[in-house]
Amino acid sequence: MQTWVLIVALLILGLAGYYLGRSRAVASADGRAASLHSVPSYYGMYVAIWAAVPGLILVLVWLSIAPIVRDNMVLSAIPPETVTAWAQEMLPADLFAAEAEAIAASGTDGLTGPQVELLMVNIVNVAAGSSFVSPTVAGILVGPAEHMNSLGELSSWGLLVIGLGLACAGLYTARRRLAPHFRARNRVESIINVFLIICSTIAILTTLGIVLSLLFESARFFGIVPIWEFLFGTQWSPQIAIRADQVGSSGAFGAIPLFVGTLLIAAIAMLVAVPVGLMSAIYLSDYAPPRVRASVKPVLEILAGIPTVVYGFFAILTVAPFIRDLGAAVGLNVSANSALAAGVVMGIMIVPFISSLSDDVINAVPQSLRDGSAALGATKSETIRQVILPAALPGIVGACLLAVSRAIGETMIVVMAAGLAANLTVNPFAAVTTVTVQIATLLVGDQEFDSAKTLSAFALGLMLFVVTLCLNVIALRVVKKYREKYD
Amino acid sequence: MTDLTHDAMAVKIGHHTSEDAQRRLRRRYAAERRFKYYGIGAICLGLGMLAILLISIGSRAIPALTQNYLTLQIEIPPEPLVASADHNYMQFVEREILSLFPEAVGDFQAQRQIMSIMPFDAAGVISERVLEDVSVLGGERIDVTLQLTDEAQAYVNGEISRSTPEADRRLTDDQMSAIDRLRDDDVIVVQDGRPVLDIAVNLPFYEVVNQSNFQSLANDALYRLFPEVEGRARRDLRAIISPGAGFELRQMILADPGLIGSSVSLEVPLSDEFDQLAKNFVDRDLPEDQRRVNDAQIAYFDGLEEAGLVTSRFNTQFFTAADSRQPELAGIWGALVGSFYTLVVTLLLSFPIGVSAAIYLEEFAPKNRLTDLIEVNINNLAAVPSIVFGLLGLAVFIQFFGLPRSAPLVGGMVLALMTLPTIIIASRAALKAVPPSIREAALGMGASRLQTVTHHVLPLAMPGILTGTIIGMAQALGETAPLLMVGMVAFITSTPEGLTSPATVLPVQIYIWSDAPERGFVAKTSLAIMTLLVFLICMNALAVWLRKRFERRW
Amino acid sequence: MSMTSEIASEPSVSPPPQAESEARAKMTSRGVEVHYGAKRALHGIDVDILQHEVLALIGPSGCGKSTFLRCLNRMNDTIEGCKVTGEMTLDGGNIYDKALDVVQLRARVGMVFQKPNPFPKSIYDNIAYGPRIHGLAGGKEELDGIVQSSLERAGLWEEVKDRLSEPGTGLSGGQQQRLCIARAVAVSPEVILMDEPCSALDPIATAHIEELIDELRVNYTIVIVTHNMQQAARVSQKTAFFHLGDLVEHKETQEIFTNPQDERTQGYITGRYG
Repeated sequence: MQTWVLIVALLILGLAGYYLGRSRAVASADGRAASLHSVPSYYGMYVAIWAAVPGLILVLVWLSIAPIVRDNMVLSAIPPETVTAWAQEMLPADLFAAEAEAIAASGTDGLTGPQVELLMVNIVNVAAGSSFVSPTVAGILVGPAEHMNSLGELSSWGLLVIGLGLACAGLYTARRRLAPHFRARNRVESIINVFLIICSTIAILTTLGIVLSLLFESARFFGIVPIWEFLFGTQWSPQIAIRADQVGSSGAFGAIPLFVGTLLIAAIAMLVAVPVGLMSAIYLSDYAPPRVRASVKPVLEILAGIPTVVYGFFAILTVAPFIRDLGAAVGLNVSANSALAAGVVMGIMIVPFISSLSDDVINAVPQSLRDGSAALGATKSETIRQVILPAALPGIVGACLLAVSRAIGETMIVVMAAGLAANLTVNPFAAVTTVTVQIATLLVGDQEFDSAKTLSAFALGLMLFVVTLCLNVIALRVVKKYREKYD
Repeated sequence: MTDLTHDAMAVKIGHHTSEDAQRRLRRRYAAERRFKYYGIGAICLGLGMLAILLISIGSRAIPALTQNYLTLQIEIPPEPLVASADHNYMQFVEREILSLFPEAVGDFQAQRQIMSIMPFDAAGVISERVLEDVSVLGGERIDVTLQLTDEAQAYVNGEISRSTPEADRRLTDDQMSAIDRLRDDDVIVVQDGRPVLDIAVNLPFYEVVNQSNFQSLANDALYRLFPEVEGRARRDLRAIISPGAGFELRQMILADPGLIGSSVSLEVPLSDEFDQLAKNFVDRDLPEDQRRVNDAQIAYFDGLEEAGLVTSRFNTQFFTAADSRQPELAGIWGALVGSFYTLVVTLLLSFPIGVSAAIYLEEFAPKNRLTDLIEVNINNLAAVPSIVFGLLGLAVFIQFFGLPRSAPLVGGMVLALMTLPTIIIASRAALKAVPPSIREAALGMGASRLQTVTHHVLPLAMPGILTGTIIGMAQALGETAPLLMVGMVAFITSTPEGLTSPATVLPVQIYIWSDAPERGFVAKTSLAIMTLLVFLICMNALAVWLRKRFERRW
Repeated sequence: MSMTSEIASEPSVSPPPQAESEARAKMTSRGVEVHYGAKRALHGIDVDILQHEVLALIGPSGCGKSTFLRCLNRMNDTIEGCKVTGEMTLDGGNIYDKALDVVQLRARVGMVFQKPNPFPKSIYDNIAYGPRIHGLAGGKEELDGIVQSSLERAGLWEEVKDRLSEPGTGLSGGQQQRLCIARAVAVSPEVILMDEPCSALDPIATAHIEELIDELRVNYTIVIVTHNMQQAARVSQKTAFFHLGDLVEHKETQEIFTNPQDERTQGYITGRYG
């Protein structure tokens, strides 16, 4: 509530700052705007920025840091007796017995990471007055919950006061600085420049975020399951852990069947997409009359705009039953979730991708080569097959690599049309599962962030990211080199 | 030049017109034609697949446009309404009593202790009172006198006390002190020599009616049409109407309490199986055990249809309701609103950031290592699988920053990161297409670089930027996988109200429905897909129109 | 303006010995007009191209000389909206006839372009490409022979014989252009069209090509478009001057340079415009 009040107040102060700054600048030049260094509105913008922006940055920083600080303060303030009482109630008896001494001695420090998380969730629930917590636990945690609520209250009032103070101070000092020779435009522009630079580094931050979060969670996973077992194991069954004390409760995390399944489906997809995509690109760029090209190309590109979830539904609704019936007609036993169905549909999805990339690549081959070949009396197809395709080969290979990376990373089609069971097979009529299917099924629904099952999804994500990144880097480099050659 | 080459050449004169050459030529042209047919074949395959996709999904979507309704004459007597809410009356009593024990708030066990001094069915008294006069609902508080359990009576009468061994008294000390307090407050009084609980309770109309079983009223109306059906066979009969019937009736009565005691004619939706039957999608020739409707049910249904009670109407429910387990009640409105909120977040984040980044990289950035790195980065990000962005959102936004799951806010942020490269690349291309002469002209007039960009370059590049943005938004609208990761896959039956309330989006709704076993969901999924495609086509058409309208050749 | 071409006039330069008995036109053009969409690029061109003779086409930029050249092997077919009317023959057969096969025509009428355009293949494959697609060689040895003799003809053999498997794009500009000539020669055409073959080359490479053209005249009929009048004077027997889509003058090279009839020709030759 206070946060919204503050944001609105900041915006109003910013607006006020704009007019105050402008009028002050004009007044300082005795009403002759021309004698100012910059246009009056720049003076207004200067003051407005100083009034609103520091406060808004404060809000952002505060909101992302305050909960963490608050949680830490609450945790460190909990007396060991309370922790003991809570642990006795919430932890399995044997676990509690093992840890009781540590807890009694050092309070929350005696708990494991996930236990601290559970405790925190309980406190948050009690503080919010929710009924998810048993009354006993609620009774135990009343103290910390109240502590948390009072800290939260303090934090939001503190934010409001500091934010408003910052805004007023900014407005005041910025306005005082204004003078006819004040270089307002340069100041404003350098501030905007900083903003632009920050915006353009978001791409890097995103990549960094992806890499760090995947690495961090994967490292936790490899702490539970050895990395070689993950990379070279041939058994994948993460779901079997039902009870904590069960034998082999960690499940099996050998990812080879997933890799094989992913590659199988991607290979089928490429077998469909490359010939169809390449031939349609060739036909459209070299054979089709302009009117056909102008109408067919956008229609074909509709295929690229169809969401993957629609392809997934198409696969289970039409393609998979068709392939199964076809298999039955010739006496083949085809699974309902066959790799073939998922691969074919994925291939159709990739056709426009390959086709438009190869179209670019083929058109980048200089006309002089076509002329040269035609002048020797070559037919069109001879020119295409023996001159243009070899010349365009690096570009086409690059396009195919990009397409493979897409096929590997595609999720919805396989989630809907491929299987869940990790079979180690290359039979296209059998059901296989893929890396993306496993990530999706492992992470959909409620998850605890400490189980190997959940963390394995991040390890798979890391594999996926590394492989697609390599493919992309190589492909983009190949394509770029190729373009430079003919530019 | 040597003689040898002269001879070689002499042999070859006329080579291109000889019989041999003609034969070779025919072969070459055959190869040429084959090659061309491969091309045509590839095009046809692509277009054919598109056609099959659209037709197979489109044709299955049509049935979902209509829904069959059964017209029922429903009696709304007060008795069943009030009676069906029977066991819930206790909560109104509970509310009154617990208000006397403020210290027990949030303490379930203490509450149970207090309430256990009364028999569980004590509330029968209240439903009698309500039946006598329905208008007490929502009116003044009414005084009711409730019985106490035998143990409580014994305690009040002094037959047992705290000193009685626990094994003989079946009352805990806490309960005893609760009784003491109630006596002090004159809530427990002695009437006709028996201790009773005498209390005034408030019966809010909405809450009572809300908990009544309206479905049974609709069922009764159906039973009246088939008086000969009795007992267990009625199960077959009531399967005809959707559970949504009771819901609709409740809304009607909540809106107009005066209907209680009258008889209304209401069109209630058929349940999915019978909707399918009405649409002739059930093969009546199949053996009975392979159908979802049995022979008796088909006979009932045919009877209703002959009587003209079954009508087919446009399925407005589909476009106005949120998700439901029942296909006949499910709609896409909730998902549409979710998609809207999500896209708003995406647009608000990715457009300003993307355009700013593009402006910086294209107009201001020095050519150095850092900007090269950013450029490579953006190109790579554009090709990172979308599910990886979902993992990022899960790990960073939800786990690290503790933002709520299933919220459009988080979904929108993830999609914004995903669309950012698209917008940056398109915006840079648009900025690049503005000729340098415009910049030079503005700079020559003494404008600063920022003024040049904002006053001259940006307006000229805007159509291209908007086109790229719309295409990016269309991608985001169709995206599913990263949203699964941040929990937008939940089953949500209400329309989201804000950026942080749990929501789902249209593609995810499609995914959820595609998994549902009920037959009706096939048509619903298909229609939802068609709706999604209509939105996407509109967005892309807008982008194409923008490009055409403002296309400028320099 | 009237057509001033003198078709019947005998060549003053002595024709190559083999051609003496057949001093007839290899290719003829009668009333050829070319339209690019609505724009008319050539207005009724009448020219005879005699066997074993080099015909130079000169004229200012955009005069239609390249357009005319491209009509001779129907390379204009590949340009959208280009329409050719009138009659054009090769050995008496109309090359714009529906029955005529354009692939065959181009095998008989080869072409070398302004900018060297070797295929991104090895030197050997560049030369072997034509014979392969036309099926001119019975076997590997015969193909080797054709490659060698073509490269010899183009005067390139000595320079590249040790690196036939290296890419053709790695050669110098002049070598690339000779490679393209060798490539055209390898198909054994009857006529070779050259579209400003030396404009992208340095003077030494140009001299090389000019010598080559003179040698090739023994076996082929050559039509060359050039901007360089000295070059036209050096290599050609006949010269045709184009101006704004008209063929202004067409006669012996010596005569056109020493005694131009039309004042436009004179103006161009003396360098008043160009």
